Amino acid sequence: MYRLDVGEDAEERPPDRATSAPGGSPNPCDTHRTGPEETPLNEPAPLAVELRGITKRFPGVVANRDIALRVRRGEVHAIVGENGAGKSTLMKTLYGMHRPDEGEILLDGKPVTLRSPSDAIAAGIGMVHQHFMLADNFTVLENVVLGSEPTRGGRLDRTTARRRIREISDSYALGLDPDTLVEELGVGDRQRVEIAKVLYRGARTLILDEPTAVLVPQEVDELFGNLAELKREGLTVIFISHKLDEVRRVADAITVIRRGTTVGTADPRTTTAGQLAELMVGAELPTPQKRDSTVRDTPVLELRGLTVVAGGRSVVDDVSLTVREGEVVGIAGVEGNGQAELVDAIMGLRPPTSGAVALAGADISGWSTRRRREEGLGFIPEDRHRQGILLEAPLWENRILGHQTRPPSVKGLFIDRKGARQDTDRIMREYDVRAPGPDTLALALSGGNQQKLIVGREMSARPRLLIAAHPTRGVDVGAQSVIWELLKDARAEGMGIVLVSADLDELIGLSDTLHVMLRGALVATLDPARLTPEELGGHMTGAREVDA
Amino acid sequence: MTALRRIGPALLAPLLAIVTALVISGLVIVLIGESPFAALRVMLDFGDTPAQQTQAIVVIVNRAIPLFLAGLAVSVAFRMGLFNIGVEGQYRLATIVAAAAGAAVALPGPLHVLLIIVVAMVVGALWAGIVAVLKVTRGVSEVISSIMLNFIALGLASYLLTGPLRGSPPGASIITTAEIPESGWVPGLNGLLTGVGLAEPRTEMYGFLLVAVVAGLMVSVLIKRTRFGFDLRATGLSPSAATASGVDARGMVLKTMLISGAVAGLIGLPDLLGTSHHYGTEFTTGLGFLGIAVALLGRNSPLGIALAALLFGFLDRAAIPLQFEGIPASVVTIIQGTIVLAVVIANQVARQITRRQAERGSAQAVAPPSTGNGSTGGGQRPGGGPPPDDGPTTGIGTGTGVRNASGDARQGAGA
Amino acid sequence: MRRVRGMKAAALLLAGSLALAACASDEPEAGGGNGGGSSAEELKIGLAFDTGGLGDKSFNDSAYAGAEAAVEALGGTVEENLQTLSPNDDASNRAELLTQLAQQGFDPVLAVGFNYDEVIGDVAADFPDTTFAQVDGANSDGSKGENVTGLLFAEEQGSFLAGVAAASKTETDHIGFVGGVESPLIEKFEAGYVAGAKAVNPDIVVDVSYLSPAGDFSGFGDPQKGKLVAQGMYQNGADIVFHAAGGSGVGVFEAAVEAGKRAIGVDSDQYLTAPPDQQAVIMTSMLKRVDNAVEEFITAYADGSVEGGTDVVYDLESEGVGLSTSGGYIDDIQATIDEYRQKIIDGEITVPTTP
Repeated sequence: MYRLDVGEDAEERPPDRATSAPGGSPNPCDTHRTGPEETPLNEPAPLAVELRGITKRFPGVVANRDIALRVRRGEVHAIVGENGAGKSTLMKTLYGMHRPDEGEILLDGKPVTLRSPSDAIAAGIGMVHQHFMLADNFTVLENVVLGSEPTRGGRLDRTTARRRIREISDSYALGLDPDTLVEELGVGDRQRVEIAKVLYRGARTLILDEPTAVLVPQEVDELFGNLAELKREGLTVIFISHKLDEVRRVADAITVIRRGTTVGTADPRTTTAGQLAELMVGAELPTPQKRDSTVRDTPVLELRGLTVVAGGRSVVDDVSLTVREGEVVGIAGVEGNGQAELVDAIMGLRPPTSGAVALAGADISGWSTRRRREEGLGFIPEDRHRQGILLEAPLWENRILGHQTRPPSVKGLFIDRKGARQDTDRIMREYDVRAPGPDTLALALSGGNQQKLIVGREMSARPRLLIAAHPTRGVDVGAQSVIWELLKDARAEGMGIVLVSADLDELIGLSDTLHVMLRGALVATLDPARLTPEELGGHMTGAREVDA
Repeated sequence: MTALRRIGPALLAPLLAIVTALVISGLVIVLIGESPFAALRVMLDFGDTPAQQTQAIVVIVNRAIPLFLAGLAVSVAFRMGLFNIGVEGQYRLATIVAAAAGAAVALPGPLHVLLIIVVAMVVGALWAGIVAVLKVTRGVSEVISSIMLNFIALGLASYLLTGPLRGSPPGASIITTAEIPESGWVPGLNGLLTGVGLAEPRTEMYGFLLVAVVAGLMVSVLIKRTRFGFDLRATGLSPSAATASGVDARGMVLKTMLISGAVAGLIGLPDLLGTSHHYGTEFTTGLGFLGIAVALLGRNSPLGIALAALLFGFLDRAAIPLQFEGIPASVVTIIQGTIVLAVVIANQVARQITRRQAERGSAQAVAPPSTGNGSTGGGQRPGGGPPPDDGPTTGIGTGTGVRNASGDARQGAGA
Repeated sequence: MRRVRGMKAAALLLAGSLALAACASDEPEAGGGNGGGSSAEELKIGLAFDTGGLGDKSFNDSAYAGAEAAVEALGGTVEENLQTLSPNDDASNRAELLTQLAQQGFDPVLAVGFNYDEVIGDVAADFPDTTFAQVDGANSDGSKGENVTGLLFAEEQGSFLAGVAAASKTETDHIGFVGGVESPLIEKFEAGYVAGAKAVNPDIVVDVSYLSPAGDFSGFGDPQKGKLVAQGMYQNGADIVFHAAGGSGVGVFEAAVEAGKRAIGVDSDQYLTAPPDQQAVIMTSMLKRVDNAVEEFITAYADGSVEGGTDVVYDLESEGVGLSTSGGYIDDIQATIDEYRQKIIDGEITVPTTP
């Protein structure tokens, strides 16, 4: 898990801020001479990081083109953009993980060449990765010093390390105890350990890659508090995100990146989320707009008293509902209230303790998952990597997944490679899956394209009932609107859809009927036509249970 | 080009492994005071006369055939993530029962051979089936149960050999089953060799080679071309995704182990039907374990396994001429061991290269920015982890508010 | 160097009783054939081991020691005149070992172990001019060919004496036998041992245990298991355990040391190679002089006196088997042992070969 290439040179540059007191040094990497407190607020602070005309090409594609980025010392600078817009490439350039083909990087006004992350660290740049790189069974102290251990007589000098970590923790209000085991820490704390790790190595500019992706709202608040502390101490934070609300809350400046290049900067105080989003996607933001009701009379799915007991409690508690042709039935609820188990029970992945499931009038309770699929159940799973695709298989094989018994992918007992490839081509075309071809491995696709492939695959089988669990989770705005349109088209053609989502706008915008799930039971049935997200949120947390 | 790119990494790993192993072995040879280049020359020297050279080829091929079958048996289970360590017990038991069955009946030639093959496959499959049943009904790890069943199979084979199936006269140093009548023998392929202009070798090339080739083709087609094979591979790649796609995981475990065991049942037959014509105390053991190494080296593809088996056969033959040069035979064991060790590492490296290429590949396909069609750019995310949570980017600010604060609700957490 | 060696060979020739004609030719095969003689210069001895190969500290090494002694006695060197081949790990290439040796002109070719039974006949037929010998392999009926000599041992006779010694020295009237692999060969040891013990004391209790079943040769190289089994026997009341378990025997000795009981070694005089603490418990060893047999065969070949197509049996009479006396633990019962020995030689006692 741990990157060994991190922090090789850290010992040469202790993070002790005393050493970065003003003073000349011929070393271009040895930056950060100016304390932020010296800078009057009105005057523009010197640029901590400046990128000029950065272009990075990979074989056949320009990942970054003519990037311009100006980050002032002591600010939180957000970089926003859609998935795959080139944010990661840019940050890898800045962190020395690869070198740009064109352009220059200036730190505190001096051009530098970063050959490796070690160079970047030596230059005071630290990276907090989205996926933590911590050893669970090590203490906070051990994790922080790993790779740049202070030694005394060949042994780890815990005393010094502990003192330094306490200093860092206190200065930036990280609240870390050096001797706690990392496995005992929550996600927010782990992130702070990562931040401490970077600070320990003397970083003055921190890159945070999608730091809120793994956090719950409270933890996000805490993180923003930490960022404020960092800022107060004169550190610079580059914050990568695509959550516009968060960006507007925390950033002092925003740079928008689109299709590999910087398309503009924005002042978060004067820019609305809508304007930002427009800048990001280059078009008006799509929102699900319902068309006329297409609900018919024939029920396609009926659940009667469905109960799933797990771990001694009813995770799905006596759920009854009906989905008719052309109807989208939304299941709202805070995650972990039994939605996943309900989906599993309908798909036959988890045996119900009691109750019945009927598909188009036939009792399918005893059917295998395969038979359910064959008889017209489509499935867009919540976690596509776990249940939806084979990452290390080509797209055409992923086309077959879940449809192993039906044409066009199979002929009798054999796989129809040609048919599957052709149909994959068709799906890629019709559902806007951007990939080189059917032989590409699924792991090479961005999340949105993977999801479009799954949606296309499930739609292509023309199911009577589609279970769509968080269908637009983790996909970019463009893919989101495509998926919404597809769901609406399918509904218009008479498909019944069970939509499980945490996105309230999605639920309200797409559903014909909305059920609220709380602690395994359906506690409210609402009319999305006369519902605001705020009201729905209240139902989901149980606050409005009595009113319903 | 694309074919090369696809095959490239597949070849890279074993080649890297072999080169690494040769370097390490070369160092070992230097350490014991001999010349590694002389050793290499000796290994590549197949003999002076055409007959000796053909003989060397026959020795290599004859050794490779059972290794190939063993690797094939292991790989079938491996493809769906099952570790069939029990191939050893499966083939030992299958061979003795098949030998006894073959000796007990008299049938016209092809039928007799067919019967022996079927008996061996059934016994191997049944023995492997026990592992599968234990796994699907009781959740017993197939590694543990197949190792344990190896011990039982060995004991059982010994009991059968010394007891009910003993065919050798009392007092004979080697205990064997009764001899299979000539109708149950598989003739050698030397006619084929001389037919293509090679010198007549001293020993016969196993006719069972043809059966092995057929088995390899069948397994290859089964895994790559059939629905069953798709389910099997899908389960190997992601059990959860396979289950969600409608694959019956338990049924797959059972079927896969049966197939693996059936192939394992063939391992002892080249020797049984080709030369020895009975199973005895001196019958070659350990092929099941070597099969694991061969399958690893061959990256679980039938063609790769065939090449790996031939390589092992080649190294095995080289052990004799090396000894003539004063280099101990254990050098060959060292080479084989380091190859297998190196291949595990090299596989990982090749895998990463494949991934990186795949990611590059996708970047290539995405339209360059100049087309201005709203392209979202290349997927630059390193593979492996779940995707970042883009969240509902509705731009109004209501969507993100409602999340369970308990921590259950993390989306796409990568921890 | 070669000149010196050549002179040695000449000296050897003079010493030998063989005609000079045989060494006039440079052809390696020329000296082959039954009864053919050879000089040390031309002496190219091939020795093919069984599972375990050279360095097994058991019968393979014993055979090597014999060959080494023979070569040196004939004035040659191991480097020049002796070629050994160890089989691969699963010993599936036994036939190939013999073939290669014969093909490269080695003569005589000796195979070590009864496992060569299956293959030596075929190879010998392919190389009729080469002289073969097989340790532990019978060819009394000549079925393996006229150019194959079986070097056999009357293990049951030596084991009988071991049984006599054990029964005479036991204080509990309870002894044990640990066999390596439950094969006909090791059963010969058991049969003789039990018969010897019963001859002294018909009521004696003999525990018999094998470390691995037939077909599984792990029992010859598993000291841990040997120790475990022997421990069980000592705890059970046995005070002397005889092992015929090759490398596993070390475990038996360890168990004897821990239990303060005694053990009987096998094949070579194990007292001589054991550490001091084990020397105290190794009462005697049942000698099976593979080294002597190999040495004698090579010497006979050099003399041109190998007949072929028959067996040479090493028994008590020819001192191919016997009991060692190192340590002096059985000196007091030497008279008894000699008495039985004589009876066996005289044919008064016929020792069984199967249990």
